Amino acid sequence: MDPFLTSRVVTDILGGLTNGVTFGLVALSLVLIWRSTGVLNFAQGAMPMFATYVGFALLSYHFGYWACVAACVIAGLMLGGLTERILVRRLYGKPEINPIVVMVGFLIVLEAVAAAIWSSTPRSLPSPFSSIHWQLAGKPFALSPFTVYEIVTAVLVMALVAALFRFTKLGLQLRASALAPEVSRLLGVRVGRLLTLGWMLSTAVGVITAILVSTNFFSGLTPTVMDGIFAYGFIAAAIGGLESPIGAIVAGVLLGIVNQFVTDYVNQNAVIMVALAMLVVSLMVRPSGVFTKSTQRRV
Amino acid sequence: MITIDNLSVSFGAVQALRDVTFLAETGQITAVLGANGAGKTTLLRTISGLEEPTSGTILMDGQALVHKKTEDIARMGVGHVPEGRGVIGEFTVEENLRLGAMMAKVNLQKGLEEQYEQFPVLGERRKQHAAKLSGGERQMLAMARALIAEPSVLLLDEPSLGLAPLVTAQLMLTIRSLCESRDLTVILVEQNASSALRIAHHAVVLHVGSVVANDVASTVAEDENLRQYYLGLVE
Amino acid sequence: MKLLAARRVPSAIALALVVTIVVLATASSTRVGVALSVAIDLAIACAFIVSVPELKTRHPVVARALLTLLGLDVAIFLTFFFSSSTNFNLATGAAMSIVLLGLSFLTGASGQISLGNGAFMGVGAFTMAIWANHHATTPIVFSLLIAIASGALVGLLLGLPATRLRGPYLAGMTLAFAVAFTFILSSFSSWTGGDSGLQLPTAWIAPRWLDGFYHAGTSPLTTTTLYITDVAIVVAGVAFFFMANLFASRTGRSMRLIRDNDVAAELVGISLPRARVVAFIVSSAYAALGGALLTVIDNSVSPSTYSFALSVTILSLIVIGGIGTISGALIGGVVYAFSTSVISWITTHTGLNPQGNVASQLNGIIFGGLLILTMLFAPFGIAGAVRHFWHRMRSRPPG
Repeated sequence: MDPFLTSRVVTDILGGLTNGVTFGLVALSLVLIWRSTGVLNFAQGAMPMFATYVGFALLSYHFGYWACVAACVIAGLMLGGLTERILVRRLYGKPEINPIVVMVGFLIVLEAVAAAIWSSTPRSLPSPFSSIHWQLAGKPFALSPFTVYEIVTAVLVMALVAALFRFTKLGLQLRASALAPEVSRLLGVRVGRLLTLGWMLSTAVGVITAILVSTNFFSGLTPTVMDGIFAYGFIAAAIGGLESPIGAIVAGVLLGIVNQFVTDYVNQNAVIMVALAMLVVSLMVRPSGVFTKSTQRRV
Repeated sequence: MITIDNLSVSFGAVQALRDVTFLAETGQITAVLGANGAGKTTLLRTISGLEEPTSGTILMDGQALVHKKTEDIARMGVGHVPEGRGVIGEFTVEENLRLGAMMAKVNLQKGLEEQYEQFPVLGERRKQHAAKLSGGERQMLAMARALIAEPSVLLLDEPSLGLAPLVTAQLMLTIRSLCESRDLTVILVEQNASSALRIAHHAVVLHVGSVVANDVASTVAEDENLRQYYLGLVE
Repeated sequence: MKLLAARRVPSAIALALVVTIVVLATASSTRVGVALSVAIDLAIACAFIVSVPELKTRHPVVARALLTLLGLDVAIFLTFFFSSSTNFNLATGAAMSIVLLGLSFLTGASGQISLGNGAFMGVGAFTMAIWANHHATTPIVFSLLIAIASGALVGLLLGLPATRLRGPYLAGMTLAFAVAFTFILSSFSSWTGGDSGLQLPTAWIAPRWLDGFYHAGTSPLTTTTLYITDVAIVVAGVAFFFMANLFASRTGRSMRLIRDNDVAAELVGISLPRARVVAFIVSSAYAALGGALLTVIDNSVSPSTYSFALSVTILSLIVIGGIGTISGALIGGVVYAFSTSVISWITTHTGLNPQGNVASQLNGIIFGGLLILTMLFAPFGIAGAVRHFWHRMRSRPPG
């Protein structure tokens, strides 16, 4: 009926939005960790991937989808907490390359162990919603029940994180310990525990992203499923300014939409090159991030 | 009451505090004076558990503070207003105060009202970002943030730093009245010896990590030698 | 010459020895004989000159050059006795050590890290192959230089924005580049040969004047491998020589100052962004050289080699060897040369199914694990640990 909704432009925007929210989620989880601990977590894709494998192992015991999702999130919370306590805690105050190297090592170990246990053959996860696109007047519409579920979930997670940080006592303490750890300790804030909590939280956000990405009909769950998403997530976070959660989300969504247009009008292979070029240009033009107000980045 | 006994702190080869011993009485202001690098800030940081002493003890009403975590010491009732005030500029005035009240057992709303009454200017600016406040207002915010948790000990690190003389005088009077009305143990670290001595009951003078004087404030204030050599107060 | 004059007697003896051996070797004229005599000659000459203590302080560049010659000489001499497969591994290790050297310099000089040196290697490797396919007559040294230039250019492009910023920007951007690289290769599949990659048009064989060395009655495959191994070792030697001088030069020293204290560096007038960019370009150029050499060694190039996994392997090797050090790159290269054999040895001796999931992931588990453990417990790797041990041994009082 309405050719506008099935037009090429609208299709690309909506398709891009579906990918963009997952980039935004990864970028958001990167920013959360970066702000609170000064570590860019290169295992931010691999940790959720691992937790997703663990959670969906319940499938073979005939648990339902939602039980598996809950198990994934719990596994993610545990993995995030343990990682901070065992690995990351030793790296605070060390030269900047130490945490980078350790987290890359952790990424490799997690991917290798996952492939050793579960093999690198893609496994398809059950989907609670159909991924067959709706039809409008005989033409395919850009969205399917699954992609709507994907977008809604992502927005919900973002809103929950925002609400946690803005409106709760816990959020106030999390923000304070990121901004001024020593002052926070002087006020009785248990900064150590909050850092652990921050890692748990951001891994849980990552887990939801990993589930959404690997439920996708095309990719399925593989040990390296998050590599590409991580790269886009980083690009989005850096474009938005690593200090800004809102910037990360906005940049992620925009990146997804641009990618979709490039895929449609150029080709699939050009996508990451365009993304890289966007990163290069944005760092040249606005090193403090496109969506940050001041030049507060540590230059 | 804070009892410090034979406290020594080292940073590698540098000894920042050497056998420091003194007593800070409840309901009194104990001024800790001395030049830059005398170890004043290190002393406060050690009381709060931010630095680990090499030897010596710190007791608060008979309870040992050494080897305790900073956040636990804060929860025991030690309010520490750090050097440079430690106000979180990205937070609003009220958020700063809410953070201060986090560990307190008191009612948040009541605490906020009390502080706004004590420092009316903070009440007027409660929704403003702390970065927008003037130096004196920031100092008040930092003190209010410490006081809202109802501490029994207040550690103040150079509260007069960067303030105009008139503001400093006002601030000192506030500290004195707070100390008396709430029966606080105040340890006041100051480089500005004259204004600190005007309100302090007791004074300790540090020189390169060691105590060179420990006496009633008025006695320290009148000692010509101390005034000239350690406090930089020359007529 | 003044230096030598001080030791006229021993130098005369050495000279006499050299002449004798050369005469003997030429008379025997077998491959091993020639190799042996030349190697021993050079070793004696170099060891003799390096042993002059004033040389190291007054002419450090000459001393380094001689040390390099000595090392090359020993290495090339040994290759004559190794099997073809060992030599092939050594050649790959030599190419890899060049890449590691670049990364070590980047971190050692500027405190930054690149997670994309596998992709920069790929830039060099493909430039080499593409150039060779279009201009088959170009001398090999010239093609290597073109590969180096291409690596430097891409490094400049990516490094310019990222090195202006502190923090993990360079690491993240190079990671994105490493992930993107295979897609970039497929985008230009008419040039890069798509998934199957490229073959070099002609195999690279020893020139005629070296016939005495390389074509003495063995199968052509063996001699080609031997020749290429020796070339790879020589190129690596030259790369190490340049890097050792760069590390010790004014530029190198000012870069180390940046790593240790950037405020002080700015105060003495070093431009931080420029120094960081230069360090990054050098590391990319070295990576490209290593990749180009690998193309020559393999006589072909395949896009699957230059995946993100390679970048991570490179990172692991230099961290294990000792990041920020020259010897660390050498150690890392040796580790790489023999890692495949060691891992398959582990597989057979632990009774793992060689086709199983665990065996296929052993590489990642071991390298990733070592990466974490080294960084946590010995941040300067094997080189750092050895140096530490050495200093402790020397400072310990006798008895």
